[in-house]
Amino acid sequence: MKALLIDTIRCTGCRSCQVACKEWNELPAEETSFFGGPGYQNPKDLSKNTWNLITFNEVKLNGRLKWIFGKKQCMHCLEPGCVSACPVGALEKTADGPVIYHKNICIGCRYCMLACPFQIPRFDFDSPNPYITKCRLCHDRQEMGEIPACAKACPTGAITFGEREDMVREAQRRIAENPDKYHHKVYGLEEAGGTCVLHISSVPFEEIGYITDIPNEPVCANVKPAMKAIPAVMLGAALILGASYKFRNRTRDEEPAAHG
Amino acid sequence: MELSRRSFLAATGAAGTGALLGFLGLDLQPSVAYAARTVPKRGKVTTTICPYCGVGCGVIVSTAEGKVVNIEGDPDHPINRGSLCSKGSSLSQLAMVNGEVNPRRLTNVLYRASGSDKWEQKTWDWAIEEIAKRIKATRDANWVGEDADGHTVNRTEAIAALGSVFINSQEAYVLTKLVRALGIVYNENESRICVTSAVKAGGESVGRGPMTNNWIDLRNSNCIMVIGCNAAETFPISFKWVMRAMEQGAKLISVDPRFTRTSAKADIYIPMRTGTDVALVGGMINYVLENKLFQEEYVTDYTNAAFLINPEFGFEDGLFTGYDPATGKYDKSTWKYQLDDEGFPLRDDTLQDPNCVFQLLKTHFSRYDPDTVCNVTGVEKDVFLEACEAFGVTGARDKAGAIICSSGAAQHTQGTQNVRSYYILQLLLGNIGVAGGGVNGIAGASNGLGCTLQGRLFHVLPGNLPMPASKDVSLEAYLARVTGSASKMENTISPWMGRPKHIISLLKAWYGDAATEQNEFGWQYLPKIGGNYSFVNLFEVMNAGTIKGLLCWGMNPAVSGPNSGVIREALQKLDWAVVVDLCETETAALWKAPGLDPSKNSTEVFLLPAASSLEKEGSLMSSARWMQWRYKAVSPPGQARSDLWIVEQLMLKLKELYAAEGGHNAEAITNMTWDYGTPPDVHKVAQEMNGYDLTTGGLIAGLGGLKNNGSTSCGNWLWCGSYTEEGNMMARRDNIDKSGIGLFSNWAWAFPCNRRIMYNRASVDLEGKPWNPEKPVIKWDSATARWVGDVPDGGPPPGKAYPFIMKPHGRAHLFGMGRVDGPFPEHYEPWESPVSNPMSSVQSDPLLKAWEDKKGTREEYPILATTNRVVEHMHAGGMTRNVPWLVELQPRMFVELSEELAAEKGITGGDRVVVESARGKIKALAVVTKRLQPFHVNGQVVHQISMPWHWGYAGLSTGDSANLLTSRVVDSNTMIPEYRAFLCRIERDRKGVEA
Repeated sequence: MKALLIDTIRCTGCRSCQVACKEWNELPAEETSFFGGPGYQNPKDLSKNTWNLITFNEVKLNGRLKWIFGKKQCMHCLEPGCVSACPVGALEKTADGPVIYHKNICIGCRYCMLACPFQIPRFDFDSPNPYITKCRLCHDRQEMGEIPACAKACPTGAITFGEREDMVREAQRRIAENPDKYHHKVYGLEEAGGTCVLHISSVPFEEIGYITDIPNEPVCANVKPAMKAIPAVMLGAALILGASYKFRNRTRDEEPAAHG
Repeated sequence: MELSRRSFLAATGAAGTGALLGFLGLDLQPSVAYAARTVPKRGKVTTTICPYCGVGCGVIVSTAEGKVVNIEGDPDHPINRGSLCSKGSSLSQLAMVNGEVNPRRLTNVLYRASGSDKWEQKTWDWAIEEIAKRIKATRDANWVGEDADGHTVNRTEAIAALGSVFINSQEAYVLTKLVRALGIVYNENESRICVTSAVKAGGESVGRGPMTNNWIDLRNSNCIMVIGCNAAETFPISFKWVMRAMEQGAKLISVDPRFTRTSAKADIYIPMRTGTDVALVGGMINYVLENKLFQEEYVTDYTNAAFLINPEFGFEDGLFTGYDPATGKYDKSTWKYQLDDEGFPLRDDTLQDPNCVFQLLKTHFSRYDPDTVCNVTGVEKDVFLEACEAFGVTGARDKAGAIICSSGAAQHTQGTQNVRSYYILQLLLGNIGVAGGGVNGIAGASNGLGCTLQGRLFHVLPGNLPMPASKDVSLEAYLARVTGSASKMENTISPWMGRPKHIISLLKAWYGDAATEQNEFGWQYLPKIGGNYSFVNLFEVMNAGTIKGLLCWGMNPAVSGPNSGVIREALQKLDWAVVVDLCETETAALWKAPGLDPSKNSTEVFLLPAASSLEKEGSLMSSARWMQWRYKAVSPPGQARSDLWIVEQLMLKLKELYAAEGGHNAEAITNMTWDYGTPPDVHKVAQEMNGYDLTTGGLIAGLGGLKNNGSTSCGNWLWCGSYTEEGNMMARRDNIDKSGIGLFSNWAWAFPCNRRIMYNRASVDLEGKPWNPEKPVIKWDSATARWVGDVPDGGPPPGKAYPFIMKPHGRAHLFGMGRVDGPFPEHYEPWESPVSNPMSSVQSDPLLKAWEDKKGTREEYPILATTNRVVEHMHAGGMTRNVPWLVELQPRMFVELSEELAAEKGITGGDRVVVESARGKIKALAVVTKRLQPFHVNGQVVHQISMPWHWGYAGLSTGDSANLLTSRVVDSNTMIPEYRAFLCRIERDRKGVEA
């Protein structure tokens, strides 16, 4: 199981990873008119064309100013809520770690968006044939023995890629060897049952805008009862979407859908 | 596209492991040359070097069906090891956007007729012919054959040549050949306005200007001070090595008026009021002297600390002895060594004589005590002392401290002295010449050094050889002036004694068989300079109408020039302009300037489409002096052509015209060598630069082979040894480091003589033993009686040569008598400053030169301002404001201000604001941030704002130019403008007009 380790102490906020993600995944630039968030953040949020976003956080620590760059992307949960919420198996947790998405299976119901505790998946509202987008942990690169584009592009070692257990050990080593420098927590070690993207930082994660009220249990356990409570109107919508699904899959590949 | 990308991946599969080990802080395993193991099934892989900053990162370009399909960092490149910054990562969009040629790229020759409001598409044949005709007409009608004194000068002052710092070295070299053959003297590039002062400071202090060490070497440092530079943004990959040093316990100090992405990584951040470097670093010098942290043996043996100075030399109330208020200049007759009967300087190796340099230095900087320093700079005392202590410890023999600096230090009226103060501090601490030490940074652009050293400044020929001047009546007189006399002093080398070899070999390269002993090797063909043709003056003269034609190569002065309102006005006065670039720039679109009616502008503009770095071959030189070769990955789009091809077309047409019609000094053009094949072969240019033994026809192996009798040719002596019979040394890709300290001596080639750390003889004691045996740069092996390690800076055995071989006595200059404004740095306020100089009654540099610019008063313009860059854009923006991914990240011109000032002015983040100086007015969007803060200086509160200077009115992303606000006041040593400190006022834009 592979994972990314994000170390905000090493990040210079150059955003090479953000551009490299677009380069590899052939994502067009978004039109922006000013900064989309605090500091130099751009665009405003993740979107169908932005799967990886660097955030800029001005934080005071022991009376001194810190400028901390966070990284927002799919966390690739060990037991992903999105996968368990997907009624048609369009999302898949691969054995290597990436949570990938099969565009041709998706019915556009957006349950995955509701299910994600990190609020990551985005829906392409503009397209007449909409679908879900998010980081795929460069699944295609990994298949060929290459590391994810963001990790390769990072100049300072702020993004490291490797076996999850190695990344956990490395994160814990850095914290243990520099207890005054690091906040004593590996974000993603336990959140939502653990993720394949781990973060370490000099300050508590809520101070740099990370969602921190996430239970340590996998989200999937909570999704099914939640789905039972979905009002009838949603069921109606599901019917329409189901019809759309049928329609759109007239020309679908014979390849069987993979389930996670 | 999917297929080609997969095959690319299959080819690069092995890359990940090495890169991963590197990221984890383990040693990167050496791997075979990338190109050798890639056998893609579809498409091909080409190595290139990033065209943006001066770090010189390796890039892999994957192409299929003649198109760029993917770009990534080169994992085998020893500097970037597969990584890139946001600019480098976006590189493919210089060529392709969403599968199509970037729509902003020029793909046709464009012409704008006098008074027209549009570009017309033209052919190359038409353009080359028309441009050549205009050059000839302007040159012939404005020829200065002799000056007023009757000296032959063979020049024209009616045509100016500008640029570049981004084209390949070979292209810059042929451009200089063209320019000088034409007799053009107004010949300048960006380095004049970017870093000349830093280069001059290096020359004065240690003998050469460029970065002393190299990027990888930063990892060897114990403390790194980034001052006058925002390296994490302007040299992003330097931070791979800064972070590596920090992982090993090194401290990082960031000195900047604005908390930057560099400051974000620093252990110690020093918010310093802009323009007060000398005060701050002077205070550090004082701290080092007072606390005896300096490396005594180094200081005594390797600097001029022990040399005795004329007892009449002195300093009082801001002025050194010899200042003449009438002329505004110094009589430097007291700034001299005391000499013995044989003419050798007197010394006191105990450093106690009150007239020795050491004591004078101590006295001079004793005034820079911590309280005074903090009062001047606005820095808090505990932070200042913390930094002094952190950097001061590198005075220990086995410790090294590095300074990274750049244009933030250089672009001041005190630019030369700012950087002089860094060198003095580093010399005292014994940090020059050692691994992990040095003064690093300097050249900002990818080929700033490589282009500038081809003679792209008015006062030099290729290899920084002095330009012949009107007063040099003959080659003999010229050589006598520039060669100097041999030093009789023991253990010193006289570096300039080689100049006749360099100059005569240059003339042989340029004039071949037409350069004979009888005609002074064609020396009379060259133009002779007779004045100040530097950048700011060039535009002053253009504004006056003297300059009628402009050749502008990859440079954009309408955005980058100081007080660019005046620059734009001057451009309007031209009869014709030739602009060569990738995209339409503000300079090319001079007739579209805001508020201008095109019908009232009569300038003809030829806009020639150039190839990008991905589309041609050649070498470029990183800031760390590495000459690296890049290959052509794809053909240029449409009609775009390489700069080499364009220069050649012009030259061939001019040769044809002058051969047919004659003209003034026609032989300078018709006899100039030009034999590069069709189409021109860049390797032939590189070989000409390296030089030939004309008796055998073989390539010269190195500098030792050059002769002064016309039997050798060499286009640029600094490149001699770069392309030999052994092959193209610049293209070497051996990434195995045998030094253990990251020299990578067999990767590419470095100037000078493939030396990776300059002044490395100062890293050992007089017996040749390294100060720090753990990180030896060189050491003397007594068994074999030779130096091992890096190429030593001067070959004689230990004790037989002092390490600073380019200085007259082999010693570095703590006392720098060569500068026009003082042998020691002294704090003066910027030309426009909100405070009165707390150090003396001399307000600003007494020698600064100000053109006819309006000076703002503190009352009218109470806010201090500076300019800056961001990682996502490069310089004037021509190469980045047309790249959609970078424009997404940094779409608009903005200005950063503190929360305190914002509250005072009623400004909130995102508001449109108007910033106004005495010279201009711009609109921008406000970023209100904790990263700027008011300074407490000399009892007053000083607000400072900062804004990027990347924007202009052309391109995908447009905005007002910060340089509309800056002034044309310049440093007296090098004529570099004071971009980085000026007064302004800021208000919310109540009209709500689009910024």
